[in-house]
Amino acid sequence: MRGLSEEQRWTVLEKIGAYAAGDLEGEEAREAESLILKSEDHQRLAESYARLLATLSMLGQESPAAPEAVVSYAIRRAYVASFLRQAEQFTRGLVEDYLGALALYLNLRPARQSGP
Amino acid sequence: MFDARGRVNTVDHGMEDRNLAARAARGEAPAFSRLIHKHSDLVYRVSLRMLGANDAPDASQEAWVRAWRNIGSFRGESAFSTWMYRITMNTCLNTRRKESRRKEQEVPEEFTQLPEPSGGGSSPEASALDGERREEIFEALRSVRSEHRAAVFLRHLEGLKYQEIAEILDVPIGTAKGWVHRGQAELLVLLSEGGGEDQ
Repeated sequence: MRGLSEEQRWTVLEKIGAYAAGDLEGEEAREAESLILKSEDHQRLAESYARLLATLSMLGQESPAAPEAVVSYAIRRAYVASFLRQAEQFTRGLVEDYLGALALYLNLRPARQSGP
Repeated sequence: MFDARGRVNTVDHGMEDRNLAARAARGEAPAFSRLIHKHSDLVYRVSLRMLGANDAPDASQEAWVRAWRNIGSFRGESAFSTWMYRITMNTCLNTRRKESRRKEQEVPEEFTQLPEPSGGGSSPEASALDGERREEIFEALRSVRSEHRAAVFLRHLEGLKYQEIAEILDVPIGTAKGWVHRGQAELLVLLSEGGGEDQ
């Protein structure tokens, strides 16, 4: 890729990569093909891409399992958060009831009118 | 939905996940616990590939904490796995943003061809990757700019479609494609530089 600017080199690299990944169609694919055919350097690039993509696909088949410690920690956190949320709701309800009763006791709340 | 790699968590359990998420949003920890069991491998795998073995456990746990906090915002419009992909990916990207800015990659004028995968055999599928080569690839991948790395990871290691990648990364499809193409170009440059040193 001698004689090309940095930006042009990236463009060539990306175009050949997109072709190797099967992401180009029609006119774009034909352009990439002619680009590859006109230079040995570009052919080597296309071959390298094919190897890279095959290797990545192979690595993608591996499926590492989450360590038990990670799973159990996440579950413990959820249970603790759930408990705290319920405790907060319970305490808030208790405080609201207590304040309501206190207000009634001190005659701070207006008396309800009965009937229309 | 995500069955490209045929993993357990890729089978579409949409309805069950939605029910579990709705129960978890009401504060039911056992329902959330079931979701953790179903999707913990996905979360860990994304964290491991994006950040490496040292940071993956913390990132996984952080992703689940975020998921629990925000479970009420899961509306079931997309698969739960898509939602978890998004949360985990954002967690990983935020972790990487805290790091110092990396040096911009430059394309060499003369390109060193990527070597054949080690392990023998002309077909890459037939040759087993040794641990050193595998680590070299993941190390190079972790040096790719974070958004591009995320896109390459989702496309080539997770085998997702561009539409799914765009949804997870919250960008238009064209941007997702552009990130994949740029990311795989950066990766090739990094690996060819590494391979060139050995030759």
